[in-house]
Amino acid sequence: MASSISETNFEESKRIKRRKTGDELRDPDTIDHTRWRSESEQRIYSTKLFEAIRQVRRNSSPVNKVSSGRDIQDAADRVLAVAAKGRTRWSRAILASRLRLRLAHNNKKHKKARLAKVTGSIRSKMPEKKRFIPALQRKVKVLSRLVPGCRKVSFPNLLEETTDYISALEMQVRAMAALTELLTGSPVDRLASTSDS
Amino acid sequence: MNRALPEMSHCLNGPGNCTDMNVLERQRARMRWQQSYFGGCDSGGVFLEPSQANQVGNFQDLVVGGGGCSVLDDVVTHSVKPDPGLENGWLELGRLELPKLGFGSGGSMNGSPTGLEMNSSISKTSSCPPTEAQSAPEAKGKVSVPAEKMSSAAGRDSSKKRKADKMQNTKVFAEDNAKDKRSKACAEEGESKINTEQARTKNNTSTPTTNNRETSADSSKENSKASEVQKPDYIHVRARRGQATDSHSLAERVRREKISERMKYLQDLVPGCNKITGKAGMLDEIINYVQSLQRQVEFLSMKLAAVNPRLDFNIDDFFAKETIPACSADFPTIGLSSEMTNPAYLQFNPVQQVVACCGFEMGLNSPDMALRRSLSAPVSLPEPYLDASCFTQLQPPPTWDADLQNLLNLEFHQERSISFPYQPFTGSIEASNLKMEI
Repeated sequence: MASSISETNFEESKRIKRRKTGDELRDPDTIDHTRWRSESEQRIYSTKLFEAIRQVRRNSSPVNKVSSGRDIQDAADRVLAVAAKGRTRWSRAILASRLRLRLAHNNKKHKKARLAKVTGSIRSKMPEKKRFIPALQRKVKVLSRLVPGCRKVSFPNLLEETTDYISALEMQVRAMAALTELLTGSPVDRLASTSDS
Repeated sequence: MNRALPEMSHCLNGPGNCTDMNVLERQRARMRWQQSYFGGCDSGGVFLEPSQANQVGNFQDLVVGGGGCSVLDDVVTHSVKPDPGLENGWLELGRLELPKLGFGSGGSMNGSPTGLEMNSSISKTSSCPPTEAQSAPEAKGKVSVPAEKMSSAAGRDSSKKRKADKMQNTKVFAEDNAKDKRSKACAEEGESKINTEQARTKNNTSTPTTNNRETSADSSKENSKASEVQKPDYIHVRARRGQATDSHSLAERVRREKISERMKYLQDLVPGCNKITGKAGMLDEIINYVQSLQRQVEFLSMKLAAVNPRLDFNIDDFFAKETIPACSADFPTIGLSSEMTNPAYLQFNPVQQVVACCGFEMGLNSPDMALRRSLSAPVSLPEPYLDASCFTQLQPPPTWDADLQNLLNLEFHQERSISFPYQPFTGSIEASNLKMEI
């Protein structure tokens, strides 16, 4: 599993190097958003996620006592990106940043940067001076920051990426909730998930 | 097209056929005029070729050049056939369909196909391809591209009108004095036409359209147009009737349509967006939704991190997912924590593990999801597990079942019942003992 993922990462990084940032000519028909809803996809994801979590535990146990939630989240995102088969920008960005992080991991240089970037966690915006950017532009910017790897993407492509990203995230939540349910035996209330446990 | 050609050749061979000869003569004269008029300008290849080749063959070349499309062929055929029967020079010539549709009249040609208009449109067509037509392939490429456009736009009103116009556009420009003026006019219109047809592209509209406009406007520019034709990546679009044919507006319209199409997808995806119209509101909803999903992932990952290191079990052996149509959240929950902590669980034979599922809310998208949970899970779990109250046990200690093998299968829409073992796991589990419902 690890070797396959690392291989995938390598391939992804190669692909990413060849690719330009910004707009790409893409035929929307080639990206099928409905695949995230299929049961088999979810099953595959769950299996892989489970393996990844186990691996994280194995790797982290000698170092830390408990694998942090962040590690699990990163693993989950990575597996999700792999499941995306690299057709979407956000998946490539996740894998690329992880690869870069892995290379830099030994130096432990950019760990914090990676954590902030890959997972797209909500960072509170630093208070800045008021800028009169059109509201739409502001929102597009916010959205582009949420979707990994989509900062310099045009608006239509950004919407495309967002569509796929939302579908993938939904599948991820479903799979992780099911897995959590399985492992912990307690129901996971989605509605209450916004509050941290 | 091929049918037309024999006609033309027949006309040539048969001097008795006055009308045919007239047409051909006119055609030749047109060719000559065109040659003289455009001088060094290269037509899109369609026009140049005739000037270089035999006059009769010119028509053929023209037809061939535009004949890449079957639509054009039909048009040409139709246009050629009635011509011999006509006496009216302009109208006749106007009817001769030239495959140079790509550079045909622009939106302005929606009017009645009078001779003047035909001329103007034709002169447009003629002036439109002022670029160097290096070779027939290029011309054919260019023409076939508009030909494709023609075929694609065949269903539209404006396109039909334009087709009619183009039918008259063929080579009527030859003998009109006003052609000079109109040619310039139609050069611009031709631009707009080209831009019309090429501007509404899905990708890369700006570059080719601007290039086209420049080449069309400046009849001395030769190469850019041909080179544009070779760009494989722009899609030809046609302006709808009543809409501006400006290249900018067309490009913008394409872009807007792209955006609105994608917003529609997102609207279906994000719950609660049906009432919201407008990009700003939609974007707000989308942003909130993405943030909530990411938060959920974060939350779940923290939960997973807190799960006991019992992950060494082969999960495939003891969990499966299946969908159960009947979802009932009301589960009699029996706290089995004491039994759960039975250390015997640790020695689970994976095959004999049974999972029980208790109702849980998968709020978002999977009302069908049902999980079986392994009993071994709770054994050494921390607090969260012991608090679990979702185990259901409908019957006294059941027996393990070989049905556990089935846990590996995902079965859709099946109601499975499994027994809930919490005692030494000998024997087989009766699947019917425990009904799992979600």
